[in-house]
Amino acid sequence: MADSDDKNGKSNGGADERRPPETLPEMKPVGYFEGESMTRRKVFAIGGQALGGAAGAVIILPALGFAIAPIFDEPEENWQAVGPRGDFVPDTYKSRVITIVEGIGEAGKTTVYVRQGSPDLDEDPNEYIAITSRCAHLGCPVRFVQAAGNFICPCHGGAYDFTGQVVVGPPVRPLDRFQTRVVDDAVEIGPRYSVTSQLEPVRARDPGEFTGGVWEYLYPPRPSTAPAP
Amino acid sequence: MSRFEKLLPPPMRRPAKPGEGDGHVGTNGKTSAANGEVTALKEQDGNGARTDDAGARVVEKAKDAPADLVGWVDERMGGTSFLTAMLLRKVPKGTNWFYTLGSATLFAFVVQALTGVFLAMYYTPSTVEAYASITYLTNDVFMGEFVRGMHKWGASVMVILVFVHMARTFFFGAYKYPRELNWVIGVVLLILTMVMGFTGYLLPFDQRSYWATIVGVNINGTAPILGPYLSDFLRAGPEFGATTLQRFYAIHMLLLPGAIIGLIGAHLYLVVKMGTTAPPWIRADRKPKDARTQEVDAIPVATNGHRDGSATTNGADPSDDERAAR
Repeated sequence: MADSDDKNGKSNGGADERRPPETLPEMKPVGYFEGESMTRRKVFAIGGQALGGAAGAVIILPALGFAIAPIFDEPEENWQAVGPRGDFVPDTYKSRVITIVEGIGEAGKTTVYVRQGSPDLDEDPNEYIAITSRCAHLGCPVRFVQAAGNFICPCHGGAYDFTGQVVVGPPVRPLDRFQTRVVDDAVEIGPRYSVTSQLEPVRARDPGEFTGGVWEYLYPPRPSTAPAP
Repeated sequence: MSRFEKLLPPPMRRPAKPGEGDGHVGTNGKTSAANGEVTALKEQDGNGARTDDAGARVVEKAKDAPADLVGWVDERMGGTSFLTAMLLRKVPKGTNWFYTLGSATLFAFVVQALTGVFLAMYYTPSTVEAYASITYLTNDVFMGEFVRGMHKWGASVMVILVFVHMARTFFFGAYKYPRELNWVIGVVLLILTMVMGFTGYLLPFDQRSYWATIVGVNINGTAPILGPYLSDFLRAGPEFGATTLQRFYAIHMLLLPGAIIGLIGAHLYLVVKMGTTAPPWIRADRKPKDARTQEVDAIPVATNGHRDGSATTNGADPSDDERAAR
């Protein structure tokens, strides 16, 4: 600022004296030195704001991490026996109640529909199929209706055929399935996984999310779910 | 002094204009210039003349106590100038009952806040005990059903009022310059009210709450890319889990009320600072009153002359597009 004033004075010369000669010299701030790029006041202002910002971050970042940490929790693999092999047949589903979240009582339970693999559907009769009761539209509880051989959702009219493929209604993908295994003649049910419209297994998605193709990127797999079988 | 002003304790009134009032100093050392009706109150015992009756003196003193208390606080806090400026501010011509919708919404929020505090005294945010605590407070606690009912129905009332208030603002054009920021704050408040409704719906933890929350969280999850993570954040995990209910409870009763109160403060500040708009059917006075009365005959009328009554029954004329239906 002082520099520009000097230049103006020189260019104007003595002929056009805009400023009376008795004008006081411009006051310099305390601590001013020649060639400074920043006033002392500004240094302290920026420093104070930086300190305040750091103090705020120290409070907010851990709190935020605390709140969003569950997104990154890796799931424990949990297998539950649902009955001996003889309980299940290839041509209809048996409903079984399993616990998907421990320690929260009734709210942690869910119904699964289990059957033996059917050779008519090109499945291995030594395998067992466990289909979730959670509708692929928005998560309402579907029921297997034996007379129709279909899964019907009570909320928005979604219906699925015997293999869980969408027949009618708003669901975006076939019904999810659970991994199964046989241990000592007992059928056990493991982590849930989703399937594409061709029944290829993919990592578990929430209801309402498409699977397969570009949707695998638009609805990215979450670290909180088990990998696909 | 307006009738409304007489209801205010003396320190909150506007001071008398110079030359008004008698400069009389009342019993408590205040000039009665600004509060002539204090004298009026005392007229039953002789125009403020003091009596020797001790009982009457106590009564007289007691009458001034509220004013004294307000004065004492105001002397130390100085809030009355702010209050008078806010309460006695000018409002435009044509202000009507539609302008009370914002206050009605605020009142609905206050009801929610108060009843919510008392509901929290009995509520247990645990998946195992929540439903039992709700049935207990509804059926066994004295007036529990009433307080819970106020909170439950008040929630719907608040959402409805928010929308009606918003519609008023929209149709009166009150969102326009320079009040856009207040509209934006209002929209954020609308969203927060919706989130309030969503998180509060889970808390009774009956079948309807549970499935509505499952569906609501899954609707959130259908947003591409971030949706699945938003669902995980809301549920605190991949499934409805042990801390989901507590998370909703904390958002419902701690996080959102704080945010809403802060934003309501900003909203009201802008209302007072900007003033309210006149209804659209009130026309602005563009000229001083005297000038207007002189020039009223010179205001040009519509070109086809129907306003002055000379051509109110024009025949059908397709070439005249002045009055085509628009």
